[in-house]
Amino acid sequence: MSSQFNQVLVMTRANLLSLPRRSAIAASMAFSVALVVCVLAGFLSMAAGFETALKSAGSPTVAVILGGGTNQETGSDVPAGVIRTIEAMRGDIGAARGSAGNLIVSREIVVPVEKTDDKTGQTKMLALRGMDPTGPALRDGITLTTGRFAGLGAREIVVGKQIAAAFPALAIGQSVRLGSVNWTVVGQFSSGGSAFESEIWGDLDAVRAAFDRQGEVQSLRLRLEGIDAIGTLRAALATISDTPLNVVTEADLYAAQSAGTANLIRLFGWPLALLMALGATAGALNTMMSSVSDRTVEIATVRALGFSRFSAFIATWVEAIALAVLGVFIGLMASWLMFNGWQASTVGANNASLSFQLTMNGHVMLTAGLLGLAIGVVGGALPAHSATRLPLTAALRARG
Amino acid sequence: MSDQPTDTPFIRFRHVKKGYRIGGEAISIFDNLDLDIPRGDFVAVMGPSGSGKSTLLNMLAGVESPDAGEIAIGAARLDLMGESARSAWRAHNMGIVFQFYNLLPMLTAAENVELPLLLKPVSAKERRIRVGKVLDLVGLAGRERQYPGLMSGGQQQRVGIARAIAADPDLLLCDEPTGDLDRKSADDVLAMLRLLNRELGKTIVMVTHDPQAARHARRTLHLDKGRFTEEREAA
Ligand SMILES: Nc1ncnc2c1ncn2[C@@H]1O[C@H](COP(=O)(O)OP(=O)(O)OP(=O)(O)O)[C@@H](O)[C@H]1O
Ligand SMILES: [Mg+2]
Repeated sequence: MSSQFNQVLVMTRANLLSLPRRSAIAASMAFSVALVVCVLAGFLSMAAGFETALKSAGSPTVAVILGGGTNQETGSDVPAGVIRTIEAMRGDIGAARGSAGNLIVSREIVVPVEKTDDKTGQTKMLALRGMDPTGPALRDGITLTTGRFAGLGAREIVVGKQIAAAFPALAIGQSVRLGSVNWTVVGQFSSGGSAFESEIWGDLDAVRAAFDRQGEVQSLRLRLEGIDAIGTLRAALATISDTPLNVVTEADLYAAQSAGTANLIRLFGWPLALLMALGATAGALNTMMSSVSDRTVEIATVRALGFSRFSAFIATWVEAIALAVLGVFIGLMASWLMFNGWQASTVGANNASLSFQLTMNGHVMLTAGLLGLAIGVVGGALPAHSATRLPLTAALRARG
Repeated sequence: MSDQPTDTPFIRFRHVKKGYRIGGEAISIFDNLDLDIPRGDFVAVMGPSGSGKSTLLNMLAGVESPDAGEIAIGAARLDLMGESARSAWRAHNMGIVFQFYNLLPMLTAAENVELPLLLKPVSAKERRIRVGKVLDLVGLAGRERQYPGLMSGGQQQRVGIARAIAADPDLLLCDEPTGDLDRKSADDVLAMLRLLNRELGKTIVMVTHDPQAARHARRTLHLDKGRFTEEREAA
């Protein structure tokens, strides 16, 4: 072992052992780091949870056809003539066909409905989706947990798991009024926490009739032949000249939606966390400067014995980093306990409420942890430098 | 090494100039100071407060630099060395005993004594043996694991002395080593320094206010107004 290493080791040890002398100010530094970590972890886990909800909703092998120059279902309109043209298309257009050679298509419409939460009294906008009977099969990862899907033309609905949990009035067998008619809840489905769980599904014609939207289709879903078939479908549909159609995979549709909102959450969270980190760095600087002044005689003494400046620097720096690591640990533990799995909801696509779970994944923890660590690394550097510049006469002229 | 002072000057100050600036005003402590201390000597430095005793010792230790002049210890010219060279030189050639002991309170007696040994290429086992030896020498055998805070002032200063001699330097510098001790403890510490000088041939420069302490030295230098006057003691 080299002498330099020995010096650093003993100085660092002596330094960390002297921490109890400065427990109050040391704890305040760890606490402010923890606070920063908590705030950033909170925002990032919210963004991550939101992304998970939307990303897992989208399948890469389902195509969504939108009309009217929009890239989301709201405001989209696919004219009946276009649908007939598509259905009449022969040959390989990239879409899967049934045994009779017919395209597997679901025509869909989403209408916002208001529902009052019996427990909280809050009114929320929910998305009621009308679809062809092929609709559920044109989604990946859907499981019917109880009951059955809506019958053709029937005033029946199935509700997503998130909604079922939030609204007891939508329990199976209940009758609810949505639009101008009463509906019977006949089933519940789950989709692995994705955005579909925040929807209510019914039969296309029944929904159109109840909301006076006869003949309207907002989107068309098709099963693609494979992951690369979207290009073929796009090329085939480009020949329909009368309406500009937007053809995207379901995965892209939801990813585009989630990107906007998740980025908004981050855009709000990062500056706040960075601002707090700046304050915490100033606090760390202060803590470590007082640590150096508390240890002046000790540092000057070992320096007078011949210890290197390097060892004085590292020992001080390690203290700052150790306190930051402690803060990071506390912050991550606290945010894990507070945020992970926390249910949140926001207004998602189609102006309807979207439930999701805050997710403290590895990436969130790493990012928040690194910011906390940076506070120690940056805030400790200058005090560590000043520890190397202490006049050695401080040791000889020390008074008790 | 002989236990008698030899005539070759071990420590040499030539034309040393040192002053401080307080505000805009320059005050001169030493204007043209010469000093010779032979190897194996034990010198007490006395003088009124503010006469520059600590300043002299700090320059000897290489923690303060003269404004001009030469300071040589053995073959080393301290005034020509940079900070880190002096620091390395100090680690191998000099032990310092402080008035307030300057022990690290969170380290045990043995760990404090071990500090200067960490600067040398010595194995952990050799370090432990050496620490045991010097603690034994200062009468603290068996107190290796005790913390300084639980020791009397006299015991702490003996740990301080053990630390100063751990790396076996030729020169010991002591600034008021008994200034904070009662008579009995002070006498113990002084007897120890005397032993180190007589038996182990350490050259010792000790600053003190206490005429009784000075009596343990081979000779006493009086410092006043930047000049020395010497009186020889019957040792
Ligand atoms: N860093 C400094 N800056 C300015 N003046 C200083 C500095 N160090 C010492 N002095 C001054 O130099 C003079 C000599 O100081 P020094 O400490 O050497 O005296 P001393 O003989 O050790 O005194 P004492 O017996 O009180 O310890 C004093 O007037 C002191 O105020
Ligand atoms: Mg003094």
